[in-house]
Amino acid sequence: MKKENDILKWFNRELSQQDIKDLKQSEDLDTLEKIKHYSSQLTAPKIDAHQALNAFKQQNKTKPESKVISLNFKTVFKVAAMVIIMLGASYFAFFNTTKNFTTDIAETQSLRLPDNSEVILNAKSSLTFNKKTWKDTRDLTLDGEAFFKVEKGQKFTVNTDAGIVQVLGTQFNVKERDNYFEVICFEGLVSVTHKNKSVTLAKGKGFKVVNNTIELIDNTNNSPSWTKAESSFNNIELNQVIAELERQYDITIEVESIDVSQLFTGTFTHNNLNTALLSVTIPLKISYKIKGSTVTFYKYEEK
Amino acid sequence: MSNNKNNLCNDNYFSDFYLKHVQYASNFAFYKCGDQAQALDFVQDAFSKIWENCSKIDVTKAKTYLFTTINNMFLNNVKHHKVVLEYAKAAPYIDQDNQSPEYLLEEEEFKIKLQNAIAILTDGQREVFLLNRIEGKKYREIAELLNISQKAVEKRMSGALKSLREHIENI
Repeated sequence: MKKENDILKWFNRELSQQDIKDLKQSEDLDTLEKIKHYSSQLTAPKIDAHQALNAFKQQNKTKPESKVISLNFKTVFKVAAMVIIMLGASYFAFFNTTKNFTTDIAETQSLRLPDNSEVILNAKSSLTFNKKTWKDTRDLTLDGEAFFKVEKGQKFTVNTDAGIVQVLGTQFNVKERDNYFEVICFEGLVSVTHKNKSVTLAKGKGFKVVNNTIELIDNTNNSPSWTKAESSFNNIELNQVIAELERQYDITIEVESIDVSQLFTGTFTHNNLNTALLSVTIPLKISYKIKGSTVTFYKYEEK
Repeated sequence: MSNNKNNLCNDNYFSDFYLKHVQYASNFAFYKCGDQAQALDFVQDAFSKIWENCSKIDVTKAKTYLFTTINNMFLNNVKHHKVVLEYAKAAPYIDQDNQSPEYLLEEEEFKIKLQNAIAILTDGQREVFLLNRIEGKKYREIAELLNISQKAVEKRMSGALKSLREHIENI
């Protein structure tokens, strides 16, 4: 048994030269030695490895690769698509919090801000604010005319192209039209910044910029007349009145040889075009004719 | 491991792996079946199994996987041929100084006897014996390759030597 183990060790190159000598003395190992010697000269058939590889690739190349790769990419695309959809959805849900309200001609809209402040948008106006940051900064952008009833709280800022209006808690009307900027305070205190000049308005006071001339005005109403479906004017140029008529009634007003810079004081209703046109034209001694949606103002005497 | 370059699915890496092992793998298959063409077929099949499952096979175990696959293929009813191996050309005789014709003839006869004796070994004995003799593998390496214990390898080797000796001395 010991001898057999030694032979195994011999073939496994684990025996020292001395051990081999001892082993050979103990038994006739000629045959085994010859076996050991000649068997190691045997060779297996040589393979041309590169040729075999080419043959292998021609057999296997297309099928399994497409299988494996396409599977991987499919899952990658699936995951990518899901991530994109989730990101997009969460973006709209959490980040895109800019709110925008727009009114068309002859339309008013009443809305409530996140802090319970009330806004009434007059015709052809738009209001934009960020819902997310509203808690920290009550900041909004106005294009057109709106009446604000602001809840008490932090500074409330209305940005317009013509100037900035800041309040703490109050009621006020902002009107920003072409060449016209008007702020009227109905309650509390309002600060108006126009071209780096600040004016503070108390209750019943107004601030008006027409064609770059600043004018302070008094007001006795409790709320702007337009919120009760009329427009009131106090020494306002006719072209501003015409513009307001166009906004409230979706009409085009043309004028023939009339001084549009003459001043108008009065009120017109938003509910009846004829009544409104009469309220404007009679005091100014103007006639008008209606053709479709076009109204032409002309001088009384001419006809 | 996740390194893309060391991935079996990578074409270049696979080619390297193929070139490195194709000769040993086909020797291994040849010791079992004795037919060169058939041996190569088995090897190609085994490689294509690895290629198909490239993403599932651990790179470090790919070699074992290759030899195990070939080994398993032979368990599935493979037709055996008589395994006859050729001697290398210019193979020296044991006693290189002895050039007498009697001695040379005797040695040539011995070589033929050895070939025949190897051919009638059992498959298990033959593969162990040839892996040890031709490729110089230790029993431990053979055990790893065949997925059997080292004791089993030694037993097969022992049996192979006994069988060879008997056949050569008796004939």
